[in-house]
Amino acid sequence: MRLPVLAAAAFAALPAAPALAASEGERITVTGEFIDTWCYFSGVMGGPDAVVGTAHHTCAMWCSAGGIPVGLLTPEGEIYMVLKIEGDDNNTGGDTILSLASSTITADGIYYERDGLNYIVVEEIVEDMGIVNENHLDFGTVPGFAIPPAER
Amino acid sequence: MMKSMITVAALFAASTAAAQDYRFEEGSNARSWNLFAESNATFSGTVVDLTCEITGDCAENCGDGVRQLGILRDFDGVLVNVQKNDQALFTGGVEELLPFCGQQVDVDGLLLTDEDLGAVNMYLVQFIRPHGTEEWTVAKAWTDNWEAAHPEWAGSGRWYRRSGDIRELLDTTGYFGLGQERDAEIKAELFAE
Repeated sequence: MRLPVLAAAAFAALPAAPALAASEGERITVTGEFIDTWCYFSGVMGGPDAVVGTAHHTCAMWCSAGGIPVGLLTPEGEIYMVLKIEGDDNNTGGDTILSLASSTITADGIYYERDGLNYIVVEEIVEDMGIVNENHLDFGTVPGFAIPPAER
Repeated sequence: MMKSMITVAALFAASTAAAQDYRFEEGSNARSWNLFAESNATFSGTVVDLTCEITGDCAENCGDGVRQLGILRDFDGVLVNVQKNDQALFTGGVEELLPFCGQQVDVDGLLLTDEDLGAVNMYLVQFIRPHGTEEWTVAKAWTDNWEAAHPEWAGSGRWYRRSGDIRELLDTTGYFGLGQERDAEIKAELFAE
């Protein structure tokens, strides 16, 4: 009887088989903050609490304008890589995605999972709460040079 | 019974190999960025439009630069999300990959893997070339392309200080995104002598 258990464990440990073509998505409603995913995932500028919110807002704009992928970060820590927003497919620094940097929204959209990452096509922004994560008193600006000395 | 045990052993071996990113390190000449989650990785694959590959909504020439791109890795069919080029200037990877839309390439760079944060199959590309060729191209085209596309913002200083799009937002919402009035208050609080 141990063999089936081992076999099941072995199957469970295997990575999911890669999808070979576009897949059906799943409709979801999700609330989250538009973040710069490179700074968040790489830790290049500090821990995950420092690279979100008002403290990181300027950098989030720089990264979005620079074409770094934008994600929706939920309160539970899930991240959905944003593919489109309300029909706008410009996710490499377009006006829509740039203007939403650091904002928290509730989105109705289609969710996809591919090779360990979540992706979302935002079909409708149900609510735009603006920037609600005010963490600048904890972290200042991240990076520290976000505001030029002459403008401080 | 023996056949089943061999199958189980093979599955364990496959799962172990698949979980280890060092399988792509051999032959890599990527430069460390001293990131906690990085590992060198060189592999071959096909440059794809992520939106097209994932949803089936495709555009000409991978979106001509407005869509995020990825690499469908030959080794295992995994869709690698290319997040960065090799410039420490807040710049993504699309400009580096776009000339190879739909083509098979070799890349060298850094994979990000951080299970705590959910980072998997994410990549910083440092070198790229058509598959099987000799000459690598350094993945630092972003700023040159940006300068060529935006002569109206020419000048000295980093691109992100000169971008009219960013200046316009900063003029409206301030550095903290809360509006000019709050911005002034916060700056006074943070930078008071």
